[in-house]
Amino acid sequence: MINPTPNIASLNPATQPQTVNTVTADKTAAFRNTVDTVKQQISKVDGLQKEADQSITDLLTGKNEDITSVVSAVAKADMSFKLLVGVRNKLIEAYKQTMQMNI
Amino acid sequence: MKVDTFGAVDIAVSGMRAHTKSMEVISSNVANARTTDTGKGRPYRRLLASFKTQSDDPVTGVAIEKIVTDKTDFQKILDPGHPQADKSGYVSMPNVHLPIEMMNLTVAARAYQANVAVLKRYQSMVESTLELLR
Repeated sequence: MINPTPNIASLNPATQPQTVNTVTADKTAAFRNTVDTVKQQISKVDGLQKEADQSITDLLTGKNEDITSVVSAVAKADMSFKLLVGVRNKLIEAYKQTMQMNI
Repeated sequence: MKVDTFGAVDIAVSGMRAHTKSMEVISSNVANARTTDTGKGRPYRRLLASFKTQSDDPVTGVAIEKIVTDKTDFQKILDPGHPQADKSGYVSMPNVHLPIEMMNLTVAARAYQANVAVLKRYQSMVESTLELLR
């Protein structure tokens, strides 16, 4: 139901833009946080990939003869990389959907 | 309770590693089943791998505690022509019994296989979880 006596203060043009600004700032901060988290995840996955690479190199050069450690490192790198790709696909999809929105 | 995504991987791999080592011990036993001299004039003594948990945590992997020697008596075999034969013609042979080693070999191989199965199943579980993202 429409309020016959709207609150004038909420429509005050002097206060309105400020609230919008804080909301935008909050959203930007939240987005930045998300980006930072993704960056952290990427570096973690990168670390696991490098570990897997190193263990394969060690196996091939004869430095390490334990094949199970290679299996473990590769399994971890594979699993975390798949998760990263899943998150990336989700993000790209969200971006595409936003861009296709009619304004 | 915190769930470690790689906990199952680490535990399964620790099992694979432990059973690889016990396989190594068994192959040493089989290879030395007729070794009458270990350098000190004594026959080879059968080895046993004993396992322990990796940490005090109730959910944990397995590790080889130590490799111990089997203290049972050596087998005496009559072979007067053998250079190590005693006055009555008997030779001390290792206390390795091949049928027992074959049994342990199957146990180790199956245990390794079981750990691989756990690792595989866990991987497919994680993959099907990631399917939910799509």
